[in-house]
Amino acid sequence: MALRLILGLLMTAVAFTVAGRRLFMLYRLGRAAQPADPGRTRGGAARLRAELTEVLGQRKLLAWTVPGVAHALAFWGFLVLALTIVEGYGALFQRDFHLPLIGTEPWLGFLEDLFVLATLVSVLIFAGIRVRHSPAREGRRSRFFGSHLDAAWLVLFMIFNVVWSLLLYRGAQINTGNFPFPGGAFASEAVARLIRPLGAGANDVIETAGLLLALGIVLLFLVLVVHSKHLHIFTAVGNVAFGRRPRALGALLPVYSAGRPVDFEDPGEDDTIGRASIEDFTWKGMLDFATCTECGRCQSQCPAWNTGKPLSPKTLIMGLRDHALAAAPYLLAGDKSRVDALATAAAQTPLVGVDGVVHPDVLWSCTTCGACVEQCPVDIEHVDHIVDMRRYQVLMESSFPPEAGVLLRNLEHAGDPWGRGAGARTEWTDGLDFPVRTLDGERLPDDVEYLFWVGCAGAFDDRAQRTTRAVAELLHTAGVSFAVLGGDETCTGDPARRIGHEVLFQQLAAQNVETLNNAGVRRIVATCAHCFNTLANEYPQLGGAYEVLHHTQLLSRLVADGRLVPVTPVDATITYHDPCYLGRHNRVFTPPRELLGSVPGARLTEPARTRETSFCCGAGGARMWMDETIGTRINETRTDELLAGRPDIVAAACPYCVDMLGDGVALRRQQDRVDEHVVVTDVAEVLLRSVREPAGPAAPLTANEPRKAQP
Amino acid sequence: MKIAVLIKYVPEATASWRFADDRALDRDGVEGRLSELDEYAVEQAIRLAEAGAATEISYLTMGPPRAVDALRKALAMGGDRAVHVVDDALHGTDAAGTAAVLAAALRRIEADLIICGMASTDAEMSVLPVMVAERLQLPAVVNAAVLKVADGSLTVERDTEDATEEVVAPLPALVSVTDRSGEARYPSFKGIVAAKRKPVTTWSLADLEIPADRVGAGGAATEVLAVRPSPPREAGTVITDEGDAAARLADFLAANKLL
Repeated sequence: MALRLILGLLMTAVAFTVAGRRLFMLYRLGRAAQPADPGRTRGGAARLRAELTEVLGQRKLLAWTVPGVAHALAFWGFLVLALTIVEGYGALFQRDFHLPLIGTEPWLGFLEDLFVLATLVSVLIFAGIRVRHSPAREGRRSRFFGSHLDAAWLVLFMIFNVVWSLLLYRGAQINTGNFPFPGGAFASEAVARLIRPLGAGANDVIETAGLLLALGIVLLFLVLVVHSKHLHIFTAVGNVAFGRRPRALGALLPVYSAGRPVDFEDPGEDDTIGRASIEDFTWKGMLDFATCTECGRCQSQCPAWNTGKPLSPKTLIMGLRDHALAAAPYLLAGDKSRVDALATAAAQTPLVGVDGVVHPDVLWSCTTCGACVEQCPVDIEHVDHIVDMRRYQVLMESSFPPEAGVLLRNLEHAGDPWGRGAGARTEWTDGLDFPVRTLDGERLPDDVEYLFWVGCAGAFDDRAQRTTRAVAELLHTAGVSFAVLGGDETCTGDPARRIGHEVLFQQLAAQNVETLNNAGVRRIVATCAHCFNTLANEYPQLGGAYEVLHHTQLLSRLVADGRLVPVTPVDATITYHDPCYLGRHNRVFTPPRELLGSVPGARLTEPARTRETSFCCGAGGARMWMDETIGTRINETRTDELLAGRPDIVAAACPYCVDMLGDGVALRRQQDRVDEHVVVTDVAEVLLRSVREPAGPAAPLTANEPRKAQP
Repeated sequence: MKIAVLIKYVPEATASWRFADDRALDRDGVEGRLSELDEYAVEQAIRLAEAGAATEISYLTMGPPRAVDALRKALAMGGDRAVHVVDDALHGTDAAGTAAVLAAALRRIEADLIICGMASTDAEMSVLPVMVAERLQLPAVVNAAVLKVADGSLTVERDTEDATEEVVAPLPALVSVTDRSGEARYPSFKGIVAAKRKPVTTWSLADLEIPADRVGAGGAATEVLAVRPSPPREAGTVITDEGDAAARLADFLAANKLL
């Protein structure tokens, strides 16, 4: 007994010392990081809900059934197994130790054994998944491509060791009469039957050895966990607790320096703008890096990765973590001159650069579509980190893909990405058979229900202009009074903000907020998913609080209220593409589908990737204005996914998507890979076709001509 | 070597321009900017400084009070200081008068190399560089695509329709650069903040000892008699392909004597 206790405590002391040193270092690294943006602790109810659903309920993991269930088994298994660890430590002091109150209940014994087996099952499933989807077999398609594979196998092996050593010890305990449970522990009992023939003496030794072995393995596992990607078993709880709620999508955060928003009119001397080096990340950023388990769900959904680009959200986060750890001795040292050369070299590696931690091609490949954030089971905020790094590159280094300079100059000088200027903003109204009220600096009249935010694409892009006119015509038909700002509208600033040019965003946004507030605008309808997102989610940061609707939301209300009646059949199979900034970022999934569903004759099909897992068209994150030269083209990949359902109409609800997919379908048509008649259009245009009486000069006659009448 | 760059504050090309009663452009009603073509001159100056060939860059502009924005923009790209010649009497000054004022200012700035854009994007006369050079009795090389400075002389390559010329001039000299000389940099926020602390000197006509009657509309050699807006652009002809698009396109081109 004494030997058992001494050895047990000795092992524990060694393991706790090693793990403790590591944890203390990680803690210091987190403390050395920048303060996070305020609001990380606000909204306790939402945070508690996230803990309950995402941690205890494993919600995001279960989105993938098989790996999700396996993880849930392992997670719950470890929670229950924590009891066996307490029992094990108790047994160091007292051979027949049991937990107080419930410690001898057969159901507890059953539960413990059940979850021991559940953990074993999960290890087997995980191993199966890792073999089946190994990067050696699947290459880049594997979500484990780029992950630390050896460490992952070691973790699985260690969990396996925890399971069998525990069962061995418990079995021996039954045979020596020291087991706390009179019944229920079916697996332990099976092991007991297996080793009983070895005799009382042997079982006595196995009990002690098994206990020390089981505790030793758990302690070794602890040391392994704090030195590997498996750290998530401790950090995930915190990362979910301090994550952006409801999710790190929608609005981007303003630029914070030392936890305070930067005043670009009068920046402080010591303000850091964006992320120039690893020290500029906040503690929440460090927690993100520490929490990444390299599962690769993000990678599997990333439009950049899926089209052969160097960006994987997973390897990006892994790279930042590995870099932070490599540089940690330097970052934490009081006397920098005494730090070893490797850590010093790591600390001095530029964060972004051809020879840096993050290659510029990685940084500029991101479309900010948010598929990674959506997937991440531990709520890592990939997009925010990417934009923060872009911010430093653009604002401080003026370093960005050269073609994006045209975008920035046009935004600066003309107020729109096309460089057309305010004078051309109402050209789209030409040829409409009703007048469009243009405010031109006037206050919004009281009888006007909505301000129609046309957007730059809606005003200047040929395809988007058609959507604008369709929406205007539908609103007019429904008797909804609306007005447009005309020449006073400028870009909302979405592309500027997402490319990292926060100063330009702030200028454009402040100007628009002033215009909107001066006009007394309260309700806005927008056709562009990006404008919609910025107006609804980001303008409140600048004192512009409006009720913002996407046109699909307003139109679907009008259809529901009977103010728009789709009568003319549209005999077509329609695939709807969820724009990232409407769907994933803002959770508007149903209204566009309701609209299409209300059209007689329309048959709606869903692409394989849809709703939350919709695949980006390639235009977000200001990628619309950059060349796409690496890998294959995102819009073509998405076009093929949508065409797989053999639709007649590909419908989207964002001008960028319509443009990108329109180009994709046009290309496939050129290559004779899709039928001539397939069109890409906005949902509003489909509705307009159906709301209009059957068109064409012969149309009114058909109804009266018996031989042409429809059956 | 010290460089002076001549820059101009021009109205935004996309804005709608209005003319005042005196037939001069109404500058108050329109947003302005550093002329895009002058950005190439600024860029060349900064590149020379970065290459170690220049020790100081000064910008010079003549224009209304708001023209200081153009100077700040140039300073945000790089360079050291700026001079703004501003005086109410300058309103309506023609090219010859502008050249006289700029030359007077340049005599005080004492630069070894003066760099200009190839033209302004508003008046588009392209005459100012040579007028200023003439006033200062400096050699002038216009429309340079490549610019090098070594051993007290300036070497430029200039593209003509038939050939690329290599021209050498001793310093001090004046050169104008084309939009093919190299993409102008996009100023960083760091540059914009730094520009706020760079000195901008304001000179009046009195500072330059130029009598007011030699400039302005009164001192101009020419007079604007009338300003008429250009007729709005007519919508283009759209040919929808109904099997004969090529033939109709050819007919259209032939009818407009383009074939």
